[in-house]
Amino acid sequence: MVETLQNLGLGFSVALQPAVLLYAFVGCVVGTLVGVLPGVGPLAGISLLLPATFGLTATNAIVMLAGIYYGAMYGGSTTSILMRIPGEAASVMTCIDGYAMARKGRAGAALAIAAIGSFIAGTVSVVALMLLAPPLAGFALRFGPPEYFALLLLGLLVLAYMSGGSMVKSLAMAVLGLLLGMIGIDQMSGYFRFAYGVVELGDGLGVVPIAVGLFGIAEVLATAGQEVPPQVLKPKLRELLPSRREWRESVMPIGRGTVLGFLIGIIPGSAHIISSFVSYAVERRLSRHPEEFGQGAVAGVAGPESANNSATSGAFVPMLALGVPSGPIPAVMLAALMVHGVSPGPLLIKEQPALFWGFIASMYVGNLMLLALNLPMVGIFVNVLRVPYSLLYPAIIMFCVVGVYAVNGSVVDVWIAIVMGALGYVLRKLGFETAPIVLGAILAPMIELALRQSLAMSDGQYMIFVSRPISGTLLAFGAALVLLNLVSWLGRGLDWRRRIPLDEKGENL
Amino acid sequence: MKRLALTGLLALTVASSAAAQDAYPSRPISLVVPFPPGGVADLTARPVATAMEKVLKQPVGVVNKTGAAGAVGMQFVATSKPDGYTLLLALSSISIIPEADKLFGRPPAFTVDQFAPVALISADPTILVVRAESPWKTAKEFIEDAKKRPGQISYSSSGIYGTLHMAMELLSSAAGIKLRHVPYAGAGPALTALLGGHVDALASGPAVVLPQIKAGKLRALAAWGDKRVAALPEVPTFKELGYPEAEFYIWAGLFAPRGTPEPVLAKLREAARVAVGDPEFKTAMDKLETPVTFKQGAEFQKFFDADAQRLAEGVRKVGRIEQK
Amino acid sequence: MLTTERLGGSALCLLALFVMWESRRLPLGTWHNPGPGYFPVLLAVVLLALGGLVAFMGGRAPRVADVGWGEAGQALVILGVCAFICFGLERLGYRLTMLGALLFLVWLVERRRLVAALGFAAALAFGSFYLFDTLLRVPLPRGPFNI
Repeated sequence: MVETLQNLGLGFSVALQPAVLLYAFVGCVVGTLVGVLPGVGPLAGISLLLPATFGLTATNAIVMLAGIYYGAMYGGSTTSILMRIPGEAASVMTCIDGYAMARKGRAGAALAIAAIGSFIAGTVSVVALMLLAPPLAGFALRFGPPEYFALLLLGLLVLAYMSGGSMVKSLAMAVLGLLLGMIGIDQMSGYFRFAYGVVELGDGLGVVPIAVGLFGIAEVLATAGQEVPPQVLKPKLRELLPSRREWRESVMPIGRGTVLGFLIGIIPGSAHIISSFVSYAVERRLSRHPEEFGQGAVAGVAGPESANNSATSGAFVPMLALGVPSGPIPAVMLAALMVHGVSPGPLLIKEQPALFWGFIASMYVGNLMLLALNLPMVGIFVNVLRVPYSLLYPAIIMFCVVGVYAVNGSVVDVWIAIVMGALGYVLRKLGFETAPIVLGAILAPMIELALRQSLAMSDGQYMIFVSRPISGTLLAFGAALVLLNLVSWLGRGLDWRRRIPLDEKGENL
Repeated sequence: MKRLALTGLLALTVASSAAAQDAYPSRPISLVVPFPPGGVADLTARPVATAMEKVLKQPVGVVNKTGAAGAVGMQFVATSKPDGYTLLLALSSISIIPEADKLFGRPPAFTVDQFAPVALISADPTILVVRAESPWKTAKEFIEDAKKRPGQISYSSSGIYGTLHMAMELLSSAAGIKLRHVPYAGAGPALTALLGGHVDALASGPAVVLPQIKAGKLRALAAWGDKRVAALPEVPTFKELGYPEAEFYIWAGLFAPRGTPEPVLAKLREAARVAVGDPEFKTAMDKLETPVTFKQGAEFQKFFDADAQRLAEGVRKVGRIEQK
Repeated sequence: MLTTERLGGSALCLLALFVMWESRRLPLGTWHNPGPGYFPVLLAVVLLALGGLVAFMGGRAPRVADVGWGEAGQALVILGVCAFICFGLERLGYRLTMLGALLFLVWLVERRRLVAALGFAAALAFGSFYLFDTLLRVPLPRGPFNI
């Protein structure tokens, strides 16, 4: 413990140097900007600024890139809440309740809760990163394809809790999303599936075009032609801050989101996008007023926003402790380290204590900077809602197009977003939920790959899922959940039938 | 008066055509990298671009056009104007992708003869690595064990028909062994899988595994190169061990679309040659632990053709796996 | 009676059948070694069942005509503008395409004054170009005369 404090002292002495502070600040600002802009996510931001870091020292470079990464998680909630457009894929869940809160006049509160939840999650997860990095990293490595499969299967179960309304319709949308995720090159056999000769579809449709299209463009299509345009809200300063009740309602979700996000973030793979989905489902399940979800439940904003921030710290665990990229973003950061002559690997913490602890310390500082940046900006951003919708929506379309194009420089992505926008519009009119589609599209390729890899590892034996401890536990947990739900569902059914005779008796009385 | 005008016009035409000829390059050049930022191709391309800028006196910008394991970017350059302003930095997968397309009966995204090779920049030999706790201390032990238990030893790769997969396939056919292939989505996850104990072996470029070897987590058994890897002098090559057909490099080379005029190509080759000798370039490559192997012109063509043939053979041998 | 759920459910069933048709050339593999066609076909079967269920039980849903399609006309126009953007982006370049698209939307569709609309469209198109291309270094396509 003493050693940790000493190291932290070393770290702060590095992090509080003016140059390092400056680059952390630049990273945070760019990250917020990148997060606010729809479609352009942290990966695009980091990739674009990677060349700019070549002239910097290793510490400055990694501090700036990390700032972009977690800064984007702060900014991503802004457009989600104000305009129902996901700032990046992880903010999709915030669109649902955050926008509903905005429509009720609580935009400022939603933005503030998102910012503060992100801050708490960011800071707590950095503490966890600092204290637990090496042992956690070792645990995370033991997640192989069978464990992934079990985990993702649990993630699919989560889908069942994501939306209200008809379970059958949500499931159908989830399956639709899963099918959309099948488009592209099959990693196990090399076949191009459903790509019709378009090379750009080789990697699939892409989360960003799907999310921006289904939520952003579909929202514009549904709202622009309305006879009564959305009210121009003129929020007053008092209304910008959350009420006491809203604070109380967000405390537990922030806590749960932090823990959940961090745990999911540690696991190597792009699973950290799922953290916000899982958090939303958990909050909905645990809430005493589940019917509020979708209409502006505070927990529906606090939980997912905290989860996606702490997932970013979780993603750093395998990267720093083992030198292993846990996803595309840490991979780019590892490359940045390599270019600067720092060889990432298990010895990084020992060989480069100034770099590691300086990085950790600058994350504390960065989170503070972001809070200071984002809270006052709530007042500025909320004024976006004053712009008449007839001027706002062309601008929204423009930002969506640029955001989607910026990811790969490909017009095909923009086409995909537009088609998904049209689809999202039609589905909304017909009363189908669109959020499960996004989750399905993310999960499908991962689940299929994990299953087939596991079978490749075990030469076709399905026993591998049960014989390995972690995946066996996860599957048992999932089975228990399903059973519990079946029991309660049946129980409710029995109750209902028993109640009818009572009611009839009551009426006769 | 008329004669003056005519002469003037003639002089202007001659001057402008001459100017057009040695006016290359007269505007910025794009170096297309068909892989995402931070990967081997991208990190090699950037020092190349910076060094060539100094020679060509025009900005050389790196453009990432990713997708389909490189096919998107490669197709883009194959179909762009052959005027020398769009270049490609490709990895050895350039020879694999059209073969894979042929295998599946698809119209190929591009073909190898849509490119004019300019120069080879680097040729990373691939290394066979296993975990430090594994029972095999030498490549011989590994191969013998594989012969005893066909299909039981697993290895990861960056994707089916990818560079890391083909390297292992070449070894398998050279040594007559059968291994179990578990494809992953990229070199990073493949390495993670090995470290986590989910597979037994991996063929990898040296840069990412050297820190792990130094830290004692992984052991290098052999290399697929012509010569031993400079950073691992005690690791033999498969050639030395008696498997000369197991030769594989993850090389990075500069290409231009076919039809680029010869003087432009000559200028590019010269620029590449000078760029590779640039000290800043050398330092950058050293940091990446990537040895520079420069070949150009006919030498590169020979290397490229031999490599392409080897890989095409390999892909054909692998065939379509679900037909096995 | 065409209700929303009947329409939606039937559409999903059709999509499922389409997927199954398109997967005919992908090898299915076995239970122990699923091929590339396995999952798409499996999912299509599930979708067929679910879609059928939705359509079957969809009698009580609101009628499609009653849902209110007033904004559909404008939605179609916006989609048309988006299609124009896609076609024009790499031929006319970002700035000209966006200028045209925004101008169309703000001047012709929303009926604002021409001068104001032009100013707004130009500011957004060129401003966003500056933000992305110059400041953030996201290469955006340029059109004729390098605009």
